[in-house]
Amino acid sequence: MKIKSRWLVVFLVMGLVLAACSPSSGDSTDTTEAPAAATTTEASTDTTEAMTDTTEGAMEILTDVGVDLDAGTITVGLLSDLTGVFSALVQPVVDGYQTKVDDINASGGIHGLQIKLEVRDTVYSVDTHVQLYEELRDSVVMLGHSTGSPHSVAIAGALAEDNMLAVPLTWYSGWSDPALNSNLIPHGAPYCIEAMNSIGYLLSLNPDAATIAIASNAGDFGEDSAEGAKLAAEAAGLEVVYDGQAKVNAADEASLAEVATGIIGSDPDIVWVTTSPGAYAGIYGQALAAGVAALWSGSFVAWNSGLIAEGSAIRDAAQRDWTFSLPIGVWGADNQGTKDAVALLTAAIPDIVPYEYYLEGVGEAILLETILNAAYESGDLTRAGVLAAAKSLESMSWDGLWPDQNYTGTPNDTVQRLATVVRPSAADLDAGGSGLEVLESDYTSDLAAAFEFNETCFAAFG
Amino acid sequence: MRGRPLLYTAYESDQAILNTPTKKVMGGLTLVVLLLIPFGVIPGLDFLAESAWLRILSTVAVFVIAGLGLNILLGLAGQVSLGHAFFMGVGAYVAAVLGGDPEGLRLGFGLPMWIWLPAAGIVAALIGVAFGPAAARVRGLYLAFVTLGLVFVGDYVFRNWVSVTGGAEVGRTFPPLQFRVWKEDPPLIDFSVDSAWFGIPMTAEAKSFYFFLAAALVFMLLAKNLQRTRVGRAFQSIRDRDIAAEIMGVDEVGYKLRAFGISSFYAGVAGALLAVHVGSVIPARWDLFLSVQFIAIVLIGGAGTVVGVVLGTIFVTVLPRLVQDLTLWMQDVVLSGEGLIAKILDPIIATQSGDFGLINTNPGTGPGLSVFQLNQVIYGLLIILFLIFEPLGLYGIWVRIRNYWKGWPFTY
Repeated sequence: MKIKSRWLVVFLVMGLVLAACSPSSGDSTDTTEAPAAATTTEASTDTTEAMTDTTEGAMEILTDVGVDLDAGTITVGLLSDLTGVFSALVQPVVDGYQTKVDDINASGGIHGLQIKLEVRDTVYSVDTHVQLYEELRDSVVMLGHSTGSPHSVAIAGALAEDNMLAVPLTWYSGWSDPALNSNLIPHGAPYCIEAMNSIGYLLSLNPDAATIAIASNAGDFGEDSAEGAKLAAEAAGLEVVYDGQAKVNAADEASLAEVATGIIGSDPDIVWVTTSPGAYAGIYGQALAAGVAALWSGSFVAWNSGLIAEGSAIRDAAQRDWTFSLPIGVWGADNQGTKDAVALLTAAIPDIVPYEYYLEGVGEAILLETILNAAYESGDLTRAGVLAAAKSLESMSWDGLWPDQNYTGTPNDTVQRLATVVRPSAADLDAGGSGLEVLESDYTSDLAAAFEFNETCFAAFG
Repeated sequence: MRGRPLLYTAYESDQAILNTPTKKVMGGLTLVVLLLIPFGVIPGLDFLAESAWLRILSTVAVFVIAGLGLNILLGLAGQVSLGHAFFMGVGAYVAAVLGGDPEGLRLGFGLPMWIWLPAAGIVAALIGVAFGPAAARVRGLYLAFVTLGLVFVGDYVFRNWVSVTGGAEVGRTFPPLQFRVWKEDPPLIDFSVDSAWFGIPMTAEAKSFYFFLAAALVFMLLAKNLQRTRVGRAFQSIRDRDIAAEIMGVDEVGYKLRAFGISSFYAGVAGALLAVHVGSVIPARWDLFLSVQFIAIVLIGGAGTVVGVVLGTIFVTVLPRLVQDLTLWMQDVVLSGEGLIAKILDPIIATQSGDFGLINTNPGTGPGLSVFQLNQVIYGLLIILFLIFEPLGLYGIWVRIRNYWKGWPFTY
């Protein structure tokens, strides 16, 4: 009996502790939470900045977390997949990001403040992502990027609680949806707009096209894209002769064969497939062998220059049939922003293999720089200030590296519709480029331009 | 019996959970320390009050529950299972469906925790028992293969049952951690928001930590008690020699089914708690690696003991964070500097593109293991080393230390 009574006491104590919360404590005020505008410190060390004419002498800068004016640092977190399934894409992004941040720091930083990156490897695991966010939340002013859609959704509540801004490193249209948008700054045309752009461009290549086959991975990436293709087909009067939305599973050869059979059987004029590069090439190869003659496109994630490398069986056919519209920068693009970025990267990373995802990192870092500068100039480097600065960028420019983007107004105003239309180019690849030839810059199709964007094309989360 | 702690005059005191004064004192102290952790008042352990560390500790508590489940099956009854992750997944999705938001995109009934938490365990247990007859026919390596199959069946179902799991790439959200009487009632206790308890301000992480700690203590007590019952002794007899056990009258198949059922119950509850703790889970979470992690927990900690499971869990769960912090520290030292330590560490860690190092914080830039890969290598090495040199695990090491100090200054 003694044993029982002792444990009973222990559990009673535990129970009391647990029961201590009364229903009325659900109000939102919390005495432990630091107010948003906590500390005010003078930025007296900075001599290089150009002050706005309303201020004289040292400017008062509000800060809370992640900015240390005495040490002269701004700490920014990156939640990156460095070892998981998307590491091949995200590693170059992080390298590009770091390169650009080093360059920004070398040329004076943010009004004299040096940017410090805290990079964490999420392994593309939602658990790890959430855990690492928790680790960074008390030390960073914003997240320079957050890899993965379910991962970014999983921290959405915490972001809102912390007034923390994050740049999602995926192109899900839900990021521009009011339901998820509050603490996010997306960039580039989302998957569904991308589909509208690409299909619009294919229609300009073949105005007589009457049918389309659509196939995709399951999930926000594949299905957002497939929904966009369907919306485009409907607007353009294309008949959907094969619907393989969510039917592609890159890890399952049988699913590729099933989708290929569906495409072959429907003999479409246009094919839209959104999946990984290997699966895309697999489906294309089977359809090609069966004699399907169509214009092909898909989300840019399906592109990899390895598909048209020397010796690839589809090297010539892919150059003839494929077109993509990239929401991210293209290595060979002829504009100042891209040229600067490429020059920076080639100087910083010896033996760099041209790849668009390096440019993605540079573009993200430019976005970071612009946001932090805007927040500094408004005198508010708190998280809330950084968030507000990002949300009031009216005409964010990357000097052509990415199309300009507006972050103010309704979802229909802010969603990016511009993209760069490209096709695979073996000549460019052989000449040491990234294997893409730019056909159109700042392109938007009539379908995308006319599309009224009020909410996500494909609701995946909720 | 002061001064003679090992003299027992009753069977009850011999079999007591805390059967020596030292254990009682240490047990009480541990409990006090655990309760004080979120306040950051314990010198040396104050860093644990950070919300990131509290999250890790909550994960430890949840993993302890799942680890105890596997320990009952593997450590007590001697049945190898690689299917533990599957049962955790089952528990998680039962919780998600029963407790999930009825207005949400996925199936959900909005029921309170007192329904979805036990249900998560019960459904997992039922599936475990249903699977039992197949598992009871085989043992050893074959049982490992059979249970391995469960993980892959589960993976397929979880990936494709979109209305329940959200599908492969998307996953679904899980109900918040709150006690409420019925569906839309205001929560009696809400662990998912910051608020005050007895006028003391508490973060959501601190409150959740207390909840998971209490749950882990309950399941530890249950596991410890199970070990001391007829059922527990039957399990151990099957583990040690199943034929001998059967000859003695132990119903082998019946007890194996029970072991699977109880183990799956633990796994189901732990899965539900893990999913709720993270808030959002994709089906790939319930993969083979998770099962292997629990094997590692049981083997590193010490098979068959509750304390061993706790030690093993702390080790396996906290190790990644320690390795990461160590790596970041080494990186800072090498980057910032001169000095002997920086020179020694330089070949170990790669700090920039093209630099050589055993560990590479940005693994794309050159050779070297990422922090995650390094962790996996360490797990693998430790499992091998423990199996060879210390089959009793951390618990065995602890017992040897204890015995050494018991006899000190004499060697025995």
